[in-house]
Amino acid sequence: MTAERFARQSFLGDDAEARIARVTVGVPGLGGGGSHIIQQLAHIGFQRYVLYDDDVVEESNLNRLVGAEARDALAETPKLHIAKMRILSLQPHAIIRGYACKWQEKPEPLRECQIVMGAVDSYRGRRELEIACRRYLMHYIDIGMDVHGGERPVIGGQIILSSPGGPCMTCMRFLTADKLATEAARYGNAGGRPQVVWPNGALASTAVGLAVDLVTGWTRKNRSYAYLAYDGNEGTLTPSKTLIGIEKYVCEHFGDTDLGDPVSIPL
Amino acid sequence: MTVAIKMTGRLYDEIWRDLERPHPFAHERVGFVFGRIGTRDDGGRLVLLTRYHAIPDAQYIDDPTVNARIGPEAMTWAMQAVYHGRPAREGVFHIHMHGYAGETGMSKTDRREIPPMMPGFQSVGRDAAHGIIILSLDHGSGWVCLPGNATLVPCGNVAVIGKEVKVFERGRRA
Repeated sequence: MTAERFARQSFLGDDAEARIARVTVGVPGLGGGGSHIIQQLAHIGFQRYVLYDDDVVEESNLNRLVGAEARDALAETPKLHIAKMRILSLQPHAIIRGYACKWQEKPEPLRECQIVMGAVDSYRGRRELEIACRRYLMHYIDIGMDVHGGERPVIGGQIILSSPGGPCMTCMRFLTADKLATEAARYGNAGGRPQVVWPNGALASTAVGLAVDLVTGWTRKNRSYAYLAYDGNEGTLTPSKTLIGIEKYVCEHFGDTDLGDPVSIPL
Repeated sequence: MTVAIKMTGRLYDEIWRDLERPHPFAHERVGFVFGRIGTRDDGGRLVLLTRYHAIPDAQYIDDPTVNARIGPEAMTWAMQAVYHGRPAREGVFHIHMHGYAGETGMSKTDRREIPPMMPGFQSVGRDAAHGIIILSLDHGSGWVCLPGNATLVPCGNVAVIGKEVKVFERGRRA
């Protein structure tokens, strides 16, 4: 890459380009959120990716799947293929390991990442990703959006950074037993959730900003957690009120030594 | 077989704070850091570091021929820790620092003194990974003995997952 390409982002630091190029980012889920994420990562200069998606483009995806065209819906192009092409068009030398399956079916490559950016649909999916990230030492950045209400719809969403050693999504009171139980109770009856392109874009952009800060440290904020609540009707992102007092909180849900492959101990 | 090491930023900072302290007579400090095994793609292994043990001043031996030499109490402690870590397959890594920038490797003294410790660690914790980590001012290198293999395998990278992500790659400057 030429120095000119990154001239406008030189404020990230003298060695930012090299730092960014060395980091491996995992993106499980390349739909509405994930497609925004990988595009921005590629623009910034990330070179190493571990991608997962087992789905193909459908017409109902075209309202938000960045990089997908009408012909992809006709051809049922895999979302993984769309993502790979998007990255390679911006970073021809990128190293992409892509898997047309759910990450749980082939978790080993994901473990090599330093940062995982998840845009999954369910609380359970988020919880599983966070567990994997804690056990194999990876930052987890989560994004998600939802639309509530009928006559007066309300768009809400979140961006969360859950880092090893820091407060987790349960500490931040994003994941709760009630939410997980409610979701489990309606298993199989969730239906298609409303999704639109602009909240995904706003959430993904902010999440990528967090990732770039983790790699370059350009803001000097030294963050070990974040929970930003998105109000899509007002167009605002604000720190969640559930973070009040959390800086003194020690995570009780993940131990510092609960790392690596689980070991079975004979009783 | 590819191997990589990961640790949290908090652990990296703790190791740094200890290793950069001056010692009453040794020219550098040494520590033990513990790690557990994770499986990576294509049969490779991850070593995920869990905790650090600073060696007390009194457990160093005053030997002017080397920068630092630790005594039998420190080695006995490490062997016992490996023994107690067997259920979790937790191995031990000898760690020290070289006071210059850039990628570092084992010095002639390191090569003579540290690898011979590995068979002892392996005999106590045979299902764990043991090894050597050397930090520089802005880089880090690692060598790992995997279970059932006496050869020290150089690590492809040592990554620090902290408030600032650091990836120290073998064969590349920081």
